[in-house]
This record gives sequence, C-alpha cells and structure tokens, in this order.
Amino acid sequence: MIEMTSSFVDSLASNTAAIKNAQGLVKKRSFVQLHQSEDGTLLFAECKGSGSSNYQCSADFIQPDKPILRCSCPSRQLPCKHSLGLLYAYIGGEAYTTAAVPEDIAAKREKAEKREEKKSQQTSEGAEPKPKKVNKTALKKKVQSQLEGLEVLKKLLRSLVRNGLGTIDKKVIKTMQEHVKQMGNYYLAGAQTELRRLTLLLSEADDREQVYTDVVEQLAVMHAFIKKGRAYLTSKLADPTLALDHESTIEEWLGHAWQLTDLKEYGLMKEQVELVQLAFVSYDDSARQEYVDEGYWLERDSGEIHRTIQYRPYKAAKLMREEDSFFDAVRTPSLYQYPGDMNRRVRFEEMAARPLDSHEVVHIPKYAERSYTDVIKKVKNQLKNPLSNANPLVLLHVAEVMQSNQDEVVIADESGQHLVLRDQTSNGHRTLPLLTHLSSSQLEDVSMLVRFEHDMDTGRLTAMPLTILKDAEMLRLLY
Amino acid sequence: MSTALLQELHQELRRIYIAGSDLALGDYRLKRMLPQFQQLGERAPIFRRLAEGIAALIEPADIENYQSAEQLQDLNLLLTSVLRTQGLTAPQGELGPLEHRPVSLSTFLPYRKLAAVEEALTTTGSNRYEVVVHAFEEGMFRDLRLLALAVRALGDPYSEIAEFAMQKILPSYGAEVVPYLIDSFDPMGGRVESRKIQVIGQAGGEDVLDLIFQAAESGSEEVRVTAIRLLADQTSYASALLSWTKDKKKAIREAAYHALAVINSEAAVERIYEALAGKDIEIVAEAAAKCSSEQLTAWLVRDLGEELKHALSNKEDKKKVEASQNKINHFLTALEGKRNDTLYELFSEVTRQYSLYISTAGLDLLDAAAQYLEHENSSEALEALYSLEQHNTRYLSYAFRASFRQLSPAQLFEHYVQSVRNKWKMKTNKETQKKLKQFLSILEQQLIAYPYQLYPSLWNSPEETTYLRKVEMMPVEQVAQLWDSRWLDWLIEVQATQLVCVFARPDHSESQSFLMERMQDMTNLRHQSFEILLLGLERAGVDASIRSELLMNVLEQKRSSNLYTFEGHVLECLYQLPFTYQDRLADMIQKYRYSAREQLQYVWNEMEKKKQEAFVVDSV
Repeated sequence: MIEMTSSFVDSLASNTAAIKNAQGLVKKRSFVQLHQSEDGTLLFAECKGSGSSNYQCSADFIQPDKPILRCSCPSRQLPCKHSLGLLYAYIGGEAYTTAAVPEDIAAKREKAEKREEKKSQQTSEGAEPKPKKVNKTALKKKVQSQLEGLEVLKKLLRSLVRNGLGTIDKKVIKTMQEHVKQMGNYYLAGAQTELRRLTLLLSEADDREQVYTDVVEQLAVMHAFIKKGRAYLTSKLADPTLALDHESTIEEWLGHAWQLTDLKEYGLMKEQVELVQLAFVSYDDSARQEYVDEGYWLERDSGEIHRTIQYRPYKAAKLMREEDSFFDAVRTPSLYQYPGDMNRRVRFEEMAARPLDSHEVVHIPKYAERSYTDVIKKVKNQLKNPLSNANPLVLLHVAEVMQSNQDEVVIADESGQHLVLRDQTSNGHRTLPLLTHLSSSQLEDVSMLVRFEHDMDTGRLTAMPLTILKDAEMLRLLY
Repeated sequence: MSTALLQELHQELRRIYIAGSDLALGDYRLKRMLPQFQQLGERAPIFRRLAEGIAALIEPADIENYQSAEQLQDLNLLLTSVLRTQGLTAPQGELGPLEHRPVSLSTFLPYRKLAAVEEALTTTGSNRYEVVVHAFEEGMFRDLRLLALAVRALGDPYSEIAEFAMQKILPSYGAEVVPYLIDSFDPMGGRVESRKIQVIGQAGGEDVLDLIFQAAESGSEEVRVTAIRLLADQTSYASALLSWTKDKKKAIREAAYHALAVINSEAAVERIYEALAGKDIEIVAEAAAKCSSEQLTAWLVRDLGEELKHALSNKEDKKKVEASQNKINHFLTALEGKRNDTLYELFSEVTRQYSLYISTAGLDLLDAAAQYLEHENSSEALEALYSLEQHNTRYLSYAFRASFRQLSPAQLFEHYVQSVRNKWKMKTNKETQKKLKQFLSILEQQLIAYPYQLYPSLWNSPEETTYLRKVEMMPVEQVAQLWDSRWLDWLIEVQATQLVCVFARPDHSESQSFLMERMQDMTNLRHQSFEILLLGLERAGVDASIRSELLMNVLEQKRSSNLYTFEGHVLECLYQLPFTYQDRLADMIQKYRYSAREQLQYVWNEMEKKKQEAFVVDSV
C-alpha cells in the first residue's frame, strides 16, 4: 500500500500549472482504467487525451520515496500531467482494481535492476570510475580562444571608458549587444552574462543618472574579472596539466560548469550531510537569460549556510521543475561544494527528506553569530574582492529590533552593536514592512537570517531580513 | 580612515567615467585632492596606492604609453575594493523601540503557491480573479505575507477583485486589519478609500465610529456616502445625519435619508416626511419605503389621498395633472410593501372610481391598488379585483391569483368557466379571444415551469455536463386536490393542448385521443409543446409502446432541419426506446444535424451495446 500526501505529489510537479492540469484531469474523469499491481508498488492507468488512443501512464513505487512516473504522451514536461493526475486520483480515493504488471513496465524494472546490480558490483569491486580523458590540444585551443575573447572585451570597455558613459547612445548599445553575442564564440559564458548586465543597465534605465553608480561598479567588477581571468588563463596555458582552479570562483566567472565528478576529485564533497532550508527565493536574471531558484540552507552539523542554485534558461523554463520552499530536513549522502568563500554554492543529487522536528528548529539558533563586529569584519573582508558573492548571508542573533527617528529599522546584538536593516531593491522583494506585524516576542532574542548589501551611493552596508527563528517557529519573511 | 574623502574620490571618478577618461589628464579637481591622499599615504599604505593611482591618471610620468581608460579602471577597482570595506553599519538617527502592531498571522505558504497569488495581485492580465478567489477559499490569506497585498487589492484595476477584497478577504481578518487600513486611509480619496472605510466600518466596531463620523463629515463625496450609510444604525449620530439631509450634494442627502430610515426615530421620520414634501421626494421615496415607522405610513397615506383629490380637482390643467402624477408615483414608491387600513380604504375607492383615476393618476396607481388588494385575502378585496378585471384584462392575473387562494376548486371553476362558458365560446369576438389567450397563459404560469437542468453530455464528452430545458408540471396529486375535475373537458373544448397535458387522466379517454391526435400533427420539434405532449401522453395513461411509436413517427416525419439539440425530456424518452427501433433510428439519423445527430447516434450505439449483451446472454 502506498502512502503519500498531496503535498508530496505537489512537490513532484514541475510547476503550479502542472498541478492544476493534473487535478483537472481527475475532476474531468479522464482516467479510464485505474489499476494497481498486486504488491501495490505500481499504479497504472489509461488516460484520455487529445489523441485517438488513450495514453498509458504509470507510477512505479518500487523505491517508495523516489517514484518513477512514466507516460506514453508526447509531452516534454516531466512528470507530465497524466502521471501526476494518476497520483492525485489515488489520493482522492478513486477505486483501483488489481491487475498484473504490464509487460513493458516489467521489462523496464528488470533493466533498472540490472543497472543497479552492475553499479553495486562495480563499487563493491572497488573499481574507480575511469578518469576522464581530456583532449589537451582542444583544451589549449579553448583557453587561447578565451584569452582572445578577454582581449576583445577589454578593447570594448576601453573605448567605452575613454569616450565616456555620457556618450553611449543606441548605436553604441548595438555594438555592445553584438559583442555579447561574440563572447559566446570565445567560450566566455560568464563574460557574456556580465557584458549583458552592463548593456541592460545602460539601455533599460529611464534615468541614466540613477544607474551610473551601478555601471561604474559593474565596470570595476568586469575589470577585475578581465585582469584575474587573463592572469589565470595565461598560467593555465603554461601548466602542462591544464588543471582547473578549484579554490577561487574564477572558473565560474569564465563560464565553466562544474561537474560533480570534478568537485569530488578536488575534495569538495562532504559525506552524510543534513541540511535545513532557512529561506528560498526565485527571480528572473535577465542578464543570464535564466530564472534562478536559490535556496539558503543550514548545514546541521557545522552551522554553515550554503546556497543551492538552479538556473532555468528562459527557453527551457517551461519544461523544467521550478524549485520550491522546502520545509522538511534533508539528508544527503554526498554534498558537493563549489569553490568560493561564504555561502558556497552546493549541490546534491540524492536526498531523503524527513519532517523537521520542532526541537530541531529550537537548536538551530546555537549557530547564530552573536557579535556583529566580527560578522561585519568577515563580510567586509569578502566584499573587498569584487569577484566574490556581493550578498553574503549570515544567521545573526538579534537581542532586539529598534527603530530610529529617521525611519531606519535597526537590530542590536547583546553588546549593543547595531546594524541597519534595509530591503534590497535589486530583487523587488520587501520584508521590512512585515516586521511591524510581528509580536514583541518575535522581535526580541531571536535569530535572523540576513543578506548583506553594500550600497555604493550611500556608502552603507545594510542587511535584509529573510527569516526569523524564535523557539520552534521559523518565520519566513521572504519565501 | 577618512571615509568622506574616499566617497568624494568615488564621486569624482564617477564624473570622469561619464565624461570619458580622455578628459582626465590634468583634471584640476583630482589634482586638488591629490595632496590629501599623499599626506594620508605617509601613514596608511592604501592611501599611498590611491595617490599613486590618481597621479598615474592625471599626471602620467610616461605619456607615451599612457592609457587613460586603463588607469581609470585600475584606480576605480582599487577604490571600489576599499570602499566596500568602509561600509557604514551604524544607524543615523536616534533609536527607539520599533512601532509594531502584532497580528495573529503566520508564514506557512511555500514559494510556488505564494508567488502565484502575489503575481495575481500585482500584475494585470487574465485569470487573476480565479486565482485570488481560489486562494481565499484555500485560506491562503492567513499568510502574513499576503496581508499588505490584500489591502492593496482594494485598488485593483479589475473591480471584481477589488470588490472581492472588500467583501470577503479583508473582513475575514476581523478587527486586526483595521489599524492597517486606517494607516493608509485618505478621507479625500475616491473609490478605493470608500472601499477602505466600508471594511473599517464593518470590522472595526465601536472603536472606529468616530473615524467614520469624521470621514462622513469631511471626506470626499464617495467616502462620505459610504461612511454615512455605515452610521445607519447609530442613533448617537442621528443629529449629524439630520444635518446631512440638508447637504448640497444629492448623493450625500440620499445616503443620509437611507440611514435615517434605518434609525427610525421620531426626528428621523419627521425629517423624511418633510423631505417628501420638497424637491428631494425623488431620492427620499426609496428610503421611506425601507422605513418601518407606522406614523410615516399614516402620513404618506394621508398625503397620497390629498394629492389624489388635488389631481381630481385640477384635471383640466394638464401641467398640474402631470405634476400630481409624478408626486403620486413617488408616494407609491414610498408605500411599497406597506399595509394600513386607510390605505386599503383608499385603494378600494380608487378601484371603485376606475375611469376617474385612470385618466388623472394613471396606470401606476391602479397597479399598486391591484397589488395591494391581491394580498388582502378578503372577499371584499376579491370583489374589488373582479371589478378591476372588468375594466382592464391586465388585472385578470391579480384577480385569478387571489381567487385561487381564496375560493374552493369548484368555486374557482364556476367563476372562471361555468358562469361564462358561453361567452368563452364566442370565437368571432376578438376581445374575448384575446382574453381567453391571456387567461390560458395565466393558467400555464401557475401549472408549468421550464427549469434548466444539468445533464451529462453522454453523446460527446461524458465527463462534461450540458444545460438542457426540462418541463415541470404540477404533480398529479396536487392537480387533483387543488383543481376541479371539470377543467379538463373545458380545456379540450378550447383546445389548450399544453394545459390538457397537465390535467390529463387515464380515466378520461377523450383526453387520450385528443393528445394522440395532437402528437400526430406535431411538426415543429423545437416547440415546447412537443416535450409537454410526451409528458401529457404519459399522464393520460397511454401505453409506453404507443408512445414510443408516436415519438418515432414524429421524428421520422420531421420537417424542421434546424434542430440543434433534443431537450431534456425528449432525450429521456429517446434513452428509453426499446432496441427494436434501432433500424428505423439508423435510417433517420442522417436527417439530423449538430448535437441532435450526436444524441441520436449515442442512442443507437447504446442499443447496439445492449443488443450485443443480450446476444452474449442468449448464447450462454
């Protein structure tokens, strides 16, 4: 007998539209024959679609926490609405008749079993996966091309700076846009994104005067990136092994997509890690031309705060699963960390979720930083490097929340050190107004996850509250 | 470290970036700042590096290899890094406790659910209303993060959403939401503010009365109207309400009258009455109708009587008569639904003097009288209605309904048929025929209804439903109990087919043959009587096989090709056809089009299925 909740099925769906459509199918009674296998590990049915024959959909619970949803429909969305609907129908208490497992699924199960067997056999034999063969000549060519690209970018920036930002008109913007395209040819996805960001800043502003500060900052970042990139690529060319830099973020800036095997090889993998999500946000990054789902997680053993980042390219966004807030605790056998400083990006493939116990939430605040002086020092030290993450996240202990007569909201630590809170305009979300709805107990002696931001115009370093933890309650102000 | 100096340098670099680095050479502002950096540089190496950077930009030593852009970028990078370590974190103003008003809401929604509602409430486009309503039904608005958006929704450009927020979402928060609404409330605003004050008044209780009063007194017109209506059950504000009835703006006066009508105090009633004598009669009449004061009713009746006399005495003067008529109509509006002995007297008098009043006061007065008398339930009133009916057939229905309630079945039949049977027979008299037609339609309204009902669309998409027209006749037992059995004979006599269907009885062979004949003559399948006839035949006790045969005959002879759908009852009969008709059905399907053909096809398919099953059973 399979046990599941509708929120579990919701979490399988790639977006809200899929949930709605799947439930619509149940409501319209599109499922003609609902069956389950004798051992109850397989649900299968026929679902009426727009085609002449019915779709065969199935949900295989042979691994109960990782159901495999299959369907004969041509949709590229996985799982499709038919297989999701099959699960909703099950939860909705529809009658499932017992029937033999269809042949094709039996065959698929067998194949999967064999695959597993082979895998386990390999690991038990201790056979290391074959090291990847790297085509050194091609790689060298690529690095050379990247260096060339950086030179092109440098030339473009030089001409922009010499002529002055005030002279940038439509024609110049067009040249910049052409360069954005070119960057792709030089294998410089990171440079492409940054140049597009600069172009968007200049072309989309109604009032240029307001964006000049951001433009100047962006130019500094790009200058740093070009300098560091050139130095790194030149040394890489000289290095006969052409090894990747696994200590700084430069590879990512250049547009390298890290493979999990690479990360493991460089010792950036931790085993048996438990994570709790503290906050989540999804936004549209028009410079990347991708939607970005970011999760902020606390590692339960160390108290470190990591970020999970999923990029959903505009073109594929419809078919990809949109991440969501996660309320359960996650245990993963292997957590892969990207190079970086604070709040490193992490990834995990396999995971098991279990409900988060309230006493576990009570323990989270022990990781909250108690001295703002130390935290600010650490944050500034990170911000000093223009290529590091400009919005570090920290879990702070807050002794009290106050307000100044200039309408600033201020938090204080136990020693009376203050920090000004401010909503960060860059992502359009506002959490500060929510603080005025909270009770006194939710504003005193609490832990607060904040995201820092340095504003060049005012010269102020402020923090935006994302989540408040008080006793067993986790109050998500963002998502 | 001198942060101010660094900020100043940042501003200067920004200026040079905008102007172009080619102009940086010898820049006098940077030149003026340079010594300060050099001086500080003696103690702090970072300032020395900055000073070197500035010098390299404005006074390069090697002019041959000078790249202004490169120098500026290097300096900017260095400065950016330095500035990022100099961010101020301390507050600027004096600190005090955070002003907060706790609400009992929490944050429980995951991103995907929350973001969908947020998007619906912050953008424009289709399907937003459904999302919002669904979210409210699911209780999503109990999430703290939607509170501000719910308040904002009052100003949504799509007014259905704004109204929904006002009527459902915001009141569901109870008194908690009131302070937040008051925070942003602007009494001088328009529609949005009027919605806000509505919620404040509904959810705020006693505490907000003063605010509402203020808004009612000094807000914009829209806000005032809403606020005044909110004060309706507050007797303590009666004096203010009285003064608002003298306001210059019509909408304000109207709102005040409505509020006074609810308060129903002596002064309020007097003021309403007073207004009825003036120009405001038009706007106060409806308010007066809502007021339950008997005193007011008495006064109104008295004045109506006087106005009628006035009209009678001036009947030569057209203008005066018109003015009176106008006034009388307003009085009638104000008296709607009210009952009082004097009024009864007055209306009785009006009916007695029918021709006199119809020329001076018009139809409205007599309609009001008939309406009143119909519900009086006395034989005297009934007589009065009969006399009205003599004057104008439009009162036939009033009289009939009153008679139906008051007379026994036999009396009713005798009054309407037996006593005037010969008169009904005068087929050449146009007046009588018109009256007969009208009478029969009154009977039909009493006995037959045509509700729409949902049927599963078995013929094209079984999971969906379609609205089809149904026929509902008064049940047989009720007919037998409430109506005289002689109606049936008379109805056949006047050939009222549809009514015969209602009254048809199995023991009445004449009705059987009458209806069967009618069915055979049936040509227009779209006509309602087609369905009624099928029901009538059943009621008349005609055998099912004969009925099916008749139905088939009609369907086969069909001449109107524009039938879209078979309505409810016909469809039910089709479903019940025995499968011996399958071949005949197959022959005629082609004559039909649209849904009707699909329905017939479905019936045929079902027959086929049954046949197969029967065959299987047989062979077993």
